[in-house]
Amino acid sequence: MRPEAPATSQGGAGIAPERRLHPWSWLFTLLQQLKQFALPLLILLFTGRGDGNELWPLIGVAALVVVSLLRYFTYRYRIEADRLVIREGWLQRSRREVPFARIHNVALDQSLLHRLFGVAEVRLESAGGKKPEAQMRVLRLDQALALEALVRGRSSRAAPASAETEDLLLLQLPPAEVLKLGLLSDRGLVLAVAGFAALSQFSPRLLPNVVEMFGRRILGWIDLHSASPTRYTLGALAVVLAAVIGLRLLSVLLAWLQYHGFSLRESTTGRLTVERGLLTRWRSSAPRGRIQAWTLREGLLHRWLRRRALQVDTAVSDPGNASRALKEIAPIATPAACDALIEHLLPDAGWRALDWQPLHRGSAWRIAIPGVAFGLVLTTAATWRFGSLGLLALLWLPWAIVSALAHARRAGFACNDRLVAVRGGWWSRHWRFAEIAALQTLRLSRTPLDRRLGTATLMLDTTGTSALGPPLRIRFVSEPTLADLFARLSRQLGQLR
Amino acid sequence: MTESSEPTTARPTDALDPRSGIGGDWSPLADAARLLFAGGGALLVAIAGLVAAIALTAWLDPGMGVGAALLGLLPLIGAAVGWRIGTRRWQHTRWRLDSDGFALRRGRLWQRETRVPIARVQHLDLKRGPLERRRGLATLVLHTAGSQAGTVGVGGLALADAEALRDRLMRAPGAALADADNDAP
Repeated sequence: MRPEAPATSQGGAGIAPERRLHPWSWLFTLLQQLKQFALPLLILLFTGRGDGNELWPLIGVAALVVVSLLRYFTYRYRIEADRLVIREGWLQRSRREVPFARIHNVALDQSLLHRLFGVAEVRLESAGGKKPEAQMRVLRLDQALALEALVRGRSSRAAPASAETEDLLLLQLPPAEVLKLGLLSDRGLVLAVAGFAALSQFSPRLLPNVVEMFGRRILGWIDLHSASPTRYTLGALAVVLAAVIGLRLLSVLLAWLQYHGFSLRESTTGRLTVERGLLTRWRSSAPRGRIQAWTLREGLLHRWLRRRALQVDTAVSDPGNASRALKEIAPIATPAACDALIEHLLPDAGWRALDWQPLHRGSAWRIAIPGVAFGLVLTTAATWRFGSLGLLALLWLPWAIVSALAHARRAGFACNDRLVAVRGGWWSRHWRFAEIAALQTLRLSRTPLDRRLGTATLMLDTTGTSALGPPLRIRFVSEPTLADLFARLSRQLGQLR
Repeated sequence: MTESSEPTTARPTDALDPRSGIGGDWSPLADAARLLFAGGGALLVAIAGLVAAIALTAWLDPGMGVGAALLGLLPLIGAAVGWRIGTRRWQHTRWRLDSDGFALRRGRLWQRETRVPIARVQHLDLKRGPLERRRGLATLVLHTAGSQAGTVGVGGLALADAEALRDRLMRAPGAALADADNDAP
């Protein structure tokens, strides 16, 4: 179905027609508002005590319905030659003019419900704005597409309006890859934990009850009265295995829902767009130049399946909506594909030819300090609690030392004219790098131990870093090397204007 | 109280004074700030000592005499320690502004040098509390777009120095996101 072209005003000869939202938009506004109250409301409705108290939430819902209807009836918008004029409100009226030139991103969202009704939610965002300039919930699909095309045509400085066909496809995940992604990720575990935590708020006995029920069912197969220790252990292992398999299946399901049909495209203007999702289609995009830092990950399972994951930090103009920002540009790809993608997005940066420098010799024991300390604390606690059996916890210490040696061997840093990179990890490896032009503050620090051993730590700050990822930080490297690097980087940054 | 501009009587000239931190070598904090640092440190650690003393007396529950001695002694020791810590902190802070940007050095045992390139300063605050105002001092806080060290602040600067820094840092066009205007939908 071709999108109908919306009528526009012809330079003053007649006012552009006022348009309204889709007749069903009140439902979507209501659903949006209910989302925050969805879980508590459901719990209340299903576990209601039976007295009059369960009617109070319904009054709240009725009020929300009235508000949504009001919003539908009072929202009007007009497409003029160079701007969008929106009027809304009844008691408090507002009129907003959004010039097309200020709009830097048009986002179309369609959940399953949207697709059933044939509508879409349109968000017009500007650079550096905290909230979208205009948010229309919802428009008919063809009108939404026409609006998107119109805004793109009016605000892009480059000529091509048919940018869709000229997008370069950088990565596409077939179903087999999405399946692998589900097997590799631990989303299932995270969701299960979060779900249990949320439901436990309302029913504190839920978690123990479920565990008891499952345990009894599985262990009931084993006759406990005549069970030998081996059968008991086997039973316990079976429970654990069932839990692990169940969680992995949940991960696969989640990955299927969230990453089905994943595609990464690059427009002629250098804008990266990621589209994914089975029932709800997510679409996030960012200009290539907005990418601040990169993280390449390879966990243990990733290595077995010969895959890696590439993530980026982008400078988010809307911190509240960070989940919509472009983050995962290659959730799963072969190492060669990841390298090729980095080479394509950072041409002539020399990613493949980086010269990795090792840590200062003898840093392994410093890396082992936290592990050894933890082992000692664990041993003390175990011995205090369990007696001499707790000394078994001392086995943690050789493990910590082996792990530290392996970490020290693999860790390193590299720096050329354009990139600075850090790598680390042993079972779960990561590479973290950024363009020098994207660095913010530099910090060189030395603890008393550093000063004794002649090492230092260099921390490089970038925008949009998440607290969960590995920081861009070079540790346990000899001080003269880092001081040189520090001076060089600060000179390079000082020349920026 | 945060101000963005204030008329002053004595302003540094643009000529670079080698004794000042601007274009010169590492400059210490103002002399007048020493008392503020020492006093602030003493107060903080004394309060911590008082809290610890209260917790100890509540937990150990000793006699009246020992309890009173504890409540009196710990805050005093805390004050003395805090005074020393504050003075050392004042002593070992250095700053400078050179062609690469603003640099700040802190500490003797735990050393740390922070550099903020001029182009990365998004905006800055000049803060003056009542004590600082009485002694002609100011605190300068630089804001960048970074996420871990996004804010770099140094207190105890002479007002003239702080204003000179503000003028120089705000003179160069700073743009943390250099291509913020080159986006196309």
